[in-house]
Amino acid sequence: MIGITKNFPGVVASNNVNLDLHPAEIHTILGENGAGKTTLMKILSGMHLPDAGTIIVRDQTVKIRSPQDSLRLGIGMVYQHFTLVPELTVLENLILGFESGFFLNLKKAEQKLKQISAAYGLTIDPDRKIQDLSVSECQRTEILKILFHESDVLILDEPTSMLSPAETEDLFDTLRSLRKAGKSVVLITHNLSEAISISDRITIMRSGKNAAELSGDMLMAMDEKTATNRILEVMFGAVPEPQPRVAAQHVFADETVLELRQVEVLNSQGAAGLKRISFSVARGEILGITGVDSEDRRLLAEVIGGQKRTTAGQLLYRGRDITLTDISTRFELGIRYVTEDRINEGCVIDMALSENTILQSYYRQPFSRFGILNQAGIQSFTGDLINRFGIRAAGPDARVGTLSGGNIQKFILARSLSGEPGLIVCSNPTYGLDATTVRLIRQFLREESRQGAAVLLITPDMDELFSCSNRIGVLFNGEISGFMDHSVATAENVGKLMLGIGE
Amino acid sequence: MKNVDFATFKPAALSIVSILFSLITGGIILLAIGKNPLIYFALLFTRGMGSSLGLIETIIKMIPLLIISAGLLACFSAGLWNIGSDGQFLIGAMLTGWAAPWLADSLPYPAYLVTIAFLGIFGGMAWILLPAVLKARYDINEIITTLMMSWLAINLVTWLVKGPINDLSTVPAQTTVIPAVYRLPMIPFTRIHAGLIIGIATLLGIHWVIRKTTLGYQFRVMRMNKKAAIHAGMCVPRLTVYGLLISGGLAGLAGAGDVLAVKGLFQAGWSPQYGMTAIPLVFLARLNGWAVIPLAFFFSFLALGGEFVARDLGVPVFFVHVLEGLTLLFFAASEYFEKKWIPK
Repeated sequence: MIGITKNFPGVVASNNVNLDLHPAEIHTILGENGAGKTTLMKILSGMHLPDAGTIIVRDQTVKIRSPQDSLRLGIGMVYQHFTLVPELTVLENLILGFESGFFLNLKKAEQKLKQISAAYGLTIDPDRKIQDLSVSECQRTEILKILFHESDVLILDEPTSMLSPAETEDLFDTLRSLRKAGKSVVLITHNLSEAISISDRITIMRSGKNAAELSGDMLMAMDEKTATNRILEVMFGAVPEPQPRVAAQHVFADETVLELRQVEVLNSQGAAGLKRISFSVARGEILGITGVDSEDRRLLAEVIGGQKRTTAGQLLYRGRDITLTDISTRFELGIRYVTEDRINEGCVIDMALSENTILQSYYRQPFSRFGILNQAGIQSFTGDLINRFGIRAAGPDARVGTLSGGNIQKFILARSLSGEPGLIVCSNPTYGLDATTVRLIRQFLREESRQGAAVLLITPDMDELFSCSNRIGVLFNGEISGFMDHSVATAENVGKLMLGIGE
Repeated sequence: MKNVDFATFKPAALSIVSILFSLITGGIILLAIGKNPLIYFALLFTRGMGSSLGLIETIIKMIPLLIISAGLLACFSAGLWNIGSDGQFLIGAMLTGWAAPWLADSLPYPAYLVTIAFLGIFGGMAWILLPAVLKARYDINEIITTLMMSWLAINLVTWLVKGPINDLSTVPAQTTVIPAVYRLPMIPFTRIHAGLIIGIATLLGIHWVIRKTTLGYQFRVMRMNKKAAIHAGMCVPRLTVYGLLISGGLAGLAGAGDVLAVKGLFQAGWSPQYGMTAIPLVFLARLNGWAVIPLAFFFSFLALGGEFVARDLGVPVFFVHVLEGLTLLFFAASEYFEKKWIPK
């Protein structure tokens, strides 16, 4: 790809970018959110047309107008959000869009699938439905789908963000065996240590441009710390200060904000999800809760936000029983839930920022009066949020969809922090974001707790857990398997609790 | 409104272009069947718009379209699909035909008009209540239920007008004729009844509600991202019922208006199917109330002009439906090309 340029309203997402890819290599593209990684890959996979620049595949200049074109050229992409049909089986998903003739030739397809599975060690039952698969199995299916169509180039967008360490290692093994078979792999990530451990080459992007290209061998020759610093330097211009461990903050421990008493919740299958959960959060405290099961974490956040009902137990907010209170009343009381699913739940991406600002507070002054919206009030408030939190957007009228992931999250958090919240429940708030934004968001949360809000930080990210929390709680199998003070918590004892070992 | 630029006119331009293309294609079809398209269109326009009679008839015909479209605007903006406007229309019309003659005797004229209006709205709402509740509580597809309720309505009103509410003094199955003095008044100095004012007022009223009120805001959020609406704590079931009731009620009002102002009675087998015209119309207008007005005018002009010309030229009446259909096809095509060529 030579001199690729792509403009979106208000931003140049990709500016004169070059990228080359050799057979049998793993090439990582690193960069912070909004640096243009995903845009570049979407151009390569035919989702966007470039405004300028040329793409050359095997010495031929090509125009990629659609994902089909791209697949025909042997380029396949695994998106961060999977594109499988949940109601269909693995096999049906593989042949989707490539049915030739009227009758499905499933037999032949299955044979081919078995061959590929065996060759790359990607085992999966072809007759299972996608909706029954785990995240890593879905990912495996996506990869199989690309191999099934005989692509030589695989692009993976943030493939490890949803995987556990063990699953990540499996994925990397697969990628290595693909490399051995002569395929080229493009890995988009902002996880530095992963990038260093697997890449042959690393291209670093910064605000829509190439910032540098480094060879993997060179980085591996350095020790991890120097390599990391070297990359951070290129990514951000300067090395960010190492995250300071939270100094013991003043906790107004006597003022309990939220208390859960023996709370039980059903999961999506109608089975017991959370069992007899009891804990409390005090003013000025950040309580970090972690756990391996993403559904448990989600249930806990939703039962406090009001999206999920309890089947037993009690929730008290500032001494008031809110077990049966609905979502908007809880919001009114000062409970803010920042969802993990920012795109689907947190905002309406096809509406303007200003319209998203009032998503929960539309009925309040100054946003509306007697049921009539006050545009001026909404606009100025949104403008204020944009300035105060440094959200990169064209203005209050910009569609949320035009913002980068990090800016959307900043916006959602900004919205939730306005109006003096009493309790902030954050679910995986920095998932998929770059280092700068991560730092900023954690800073927001700490600042908020310093001002007297209670923060419940539900996250699978250990780094986040340790850098923010005053106390740490661990969920295992729907129960709280342990609580500890930050001062005594170590990765080892938290890790053990997460896996249900000990005690 | 403040900064007028190309973007504001683009939707209008697309609609106009699709209408032009449909007329051109229609002309080609006419040529193919051996008719002179120039004469056809010349007649269509002179009959439909050229004479004051044609103009008045066109406007009268567009009144129910306006009122039904207003209701559809509300529910489509909420992402709800009321496909059964025709059924709600008939129930409102039937109730009016049945009640107006005896209400006229017992109520003062203004109170009588208000009562009839409420009766029409009530009838339409009653007819959509079941689909609305099913959708809200059990998420049962409202497209199917409203459509089925429509068939039920057609048969119910036919049975009623042939039996219980039949005026036995007349030969055809119909209700008692509403005396001329108890019809809807005319707009002063015209031969157009006051329904036009009601139609435009409801349409622009709903347009305003959708864009400027918290209710309309919730509707729009619900259409764009239902998950976010639920997450934010909006009461989606209640909004669902509201959206559908508004659209059903207005369809019923349109029915009441048509009986009270134009027909003067309710007749077996009468089913003008305005709803089926209003649905594509609201889409052509891209959920914009202002744009509905000229489009409603155009569609009723086509319907009326087509009737006139059919008699003169021997081109079947349903040829105008071909034109309507073509307009929609070209509109869909224009949206496609817009997405492809003009990046957002």
